[in-house]
Amino acid sequence: MDLLPNISLAAFCQQLLVGLSRTTILFIVASGLSLVLGVLRIPNVAHGSLYMIGAFLAYTIASAAGGGTFGFWLALVLAPLGVALISLAVERGLFCRLYEREHLMLLLFTFAFTLVFGDLVKLVWGSDFRSMNAPTSLQGSFDVLGFPFPKYNLFLLIIGPIVALGLWWLTNKTKIGKIAKAAAVDREMVAAVGINVSWVFASVFVIGCFLAGLGGALVAPTQNITQGMDHGIIIETFLIVIIGGLGNIWGALLGALIFGLTDAIGILIFPQFAIVFPYVAVITVLMLRPKGLLKSVW
Amino acid sequence: MKPLSRFILTTLAVLVFSAIITGPTAFAAKAVKVGIVDCYSGPPSTYTNDVRDAFKLAIDKINASGSLSRKIEFVTRDSKFKVDIGLSAAKELIMRENVDIMMGTINSGLALAISDLCKKEKIPFLVTFSKSAKITGEKGHRYVFSLTENSALAGKAMAESLAKKPYTKFWIGGDDYEYGHAIADATWEHLIKIKPEVQLLGQSWWKVREPDFTPYITAMLAAKPDAVIVATGGADCVPFLKAAKATGFNDKVPFIMHTATELSTLKPLGANGPEGVLGTSNYFHYFPDSAENKAFVSEFKAAYDRPPAVGALYGYLAATFIQKAYATAGSFKTEKFIDALEGMTVDSPVGKVTIRAFDHQAMLPMFMGVTKKSAEYDYLIADDIIVISGEDAMPAIEEIKKARGM
Repeated sequence: MDLLPNISLAAFCQQLLVGLSRTTILFIVASGLSLVLGVLRIPNVAHGSLYMIGAFLAYTIASAAGGGTFGFWLALVLAPLGVALISLAVERGLFCRLYEREHLMLLLFTFAFTLVFGDLVKLVWGSDFRSMNAPTSLQGSFDVLGFPFPKYNLFLLIIGPIVALGLWWLTNKTKIGKIAKAAAVDREMVAAVGINVSWVFASVFVIGCFLAGLGGALVAPTQNITQGMDHGIIIETFLIVIIGGLGNIWGALLGALIFGLTDAIGILIFPQFAIVFPYVAVITVLMLRPKGLLKSVW
Repeated sequence: MKPLSRFILTTLAVLVFSAIITGPTAFAAKAVKVGIVDCYSGPPSTYTNDVRDAFKLAIDKINASGSLSRKIEFVTRDSKFKVDIGLSAAKELIMRENVDIMMGTINSGLALAISDLCKKEKIPFLVTFSKSAKITGEKGHRYVFSLTENSALAGKAMAESLAKKPYTKFWIGGDDYEYGHAIADATWEHLIKIKPEVQLLGQSWWKVREPDFTPYITAMLAAKPDAVIVATGGADCVPFLKAAKATGFNDKVPFIMHTATELSTLKPLGANGPEGVLGTSNYFHYFPDSAENKAFVSEFKAAYDRPPAVGALYGYLAATFIQKAYATAGSFKTEKFIDALEGMTVDSPVGKVTIRAFDHQAMLPMFMGVTKKSAEYDYLIADDIIVISGEDAMPAIEEIKKARGM
């Protein structure tokens, strides 16, 4: 194989676009993980499982609603809410009692939850592969510079900035965002001024998990909805959070961009060894900036 | 502390007691015991459940008919798709459960490990899903039998069908894993032998369980090949076909993928799957349109309320071969059982299937078809099916000898 195959500029731009749409999903899931990590100091390994449950819930809701266009939109709204509800129960029932424990303990607890959720999914949905359809208007593709670009990916490209803006608004402009920031720095001080820190943490945890569910619901029409889809995403998003800077949402965005784009471009330029590209990028970033690209602002 | 120690004592007592009553089964009328190790958790179970369920159905029928003087019973162990767990389960089945026959598994690494164990323990091992050609090829031996096609057979069948089409410029994309490379190599090596003018533009290798194939497909399209050989398997077939549909890949460049036409792949995609995809498989519940297959399908549906997928054929074959081999041998001795199995032919839903005496590989016919919408089912089916007979797809005995260094 040629070391430098003949790649047109059009193909390169098109590949960038495809990479960006994948970045959207990575960002949405990673930002939720980063939020929980930053405020609650919980390395939530079960985040990937919630993403999986989001996808399964989306499938169930969409099928129950007839599987058409309406079913998809309903699923996109309800599935993340369902995941948020599950996470609320988990937070109130268990995690809220564990905040004082050390990191390793929390890590083990969340790891235990990946096993519990994994078996739960198997019990509820069984082992068959599941699949749901994108709405008719988002099916198929159109030509960008002579190459096919799936309409659904364009939809993802629109959703990504909306979620980013929403998160920016939430953390900078709302009261809960400001309290959460303060609570992350000094929990006792916030409690001393009469704020119920426990509920602030619960809200942040639920919002973070909602994002996992949203990511799951968004990928559901493009993927095979099956057990084990939690493994890949949790590894990738953890890497993204680490290179971006722990707990920094903009770091998650930057990390997702680096990860998603090196992946897509690697596939185009050196398809035989494409798998290694995003990981090489991660290693490079960590060698240059061991604490991540951006500061942990929370 | 006291209630706790009492609790531990009670638990121990119960465990010891249950070990005593369930341990020795020797005083019961001795049944033939089959030990199945396979992955029953996670995505592979969508394939392995069919093997087990069809095996059970066939065994129940054999036991009810009384055609053997001993009953056949079986125990299963979950390998969790891990070689170490599966291998220790296999050891446990052989040492403690004293199984007469081993069966399984979808994991190629584990299949080879159990095969090795069975060679030492002199226990027949019937492989029911692993696609590794090494099982009956390079690593074949007296005690291992493969009742499923493997990457060599599938690759040869795909190459035969591709050679008939007017394509010369190819691209290969596949799982960066043994299965992907094995099936791609088998296809390409045979294709270049029967059609020397073909050329390979390039290759893409992705990780197993790649979630989104869109960037791979757009990159392959940018290279403008005549056709693409897709060497991906299992759970990855579904997202690949989804991405193919979303990008219009199937309309732009023809591609062939082993197992693309299988029920486990096409059913989750529903009526919205991509049409015109070339694929090969050992079994369809709607093909061959024979009385045997219809009877098999209706029995399976009656028992499990779903149509049988390809795994069901392997489970059925295992049970049928076990019954016939013992009946022919007229004995329950292992060596006689193996002698009987070598070269044995049974009737099956896909017609007569013979185990080649030399390498113990079942000569299964391969069905190549094109995905198409169907009026009867709410998922795509394979159409324009071409049958590649087991004899044609089998690697030559000389090749096996060469691989084994004979």
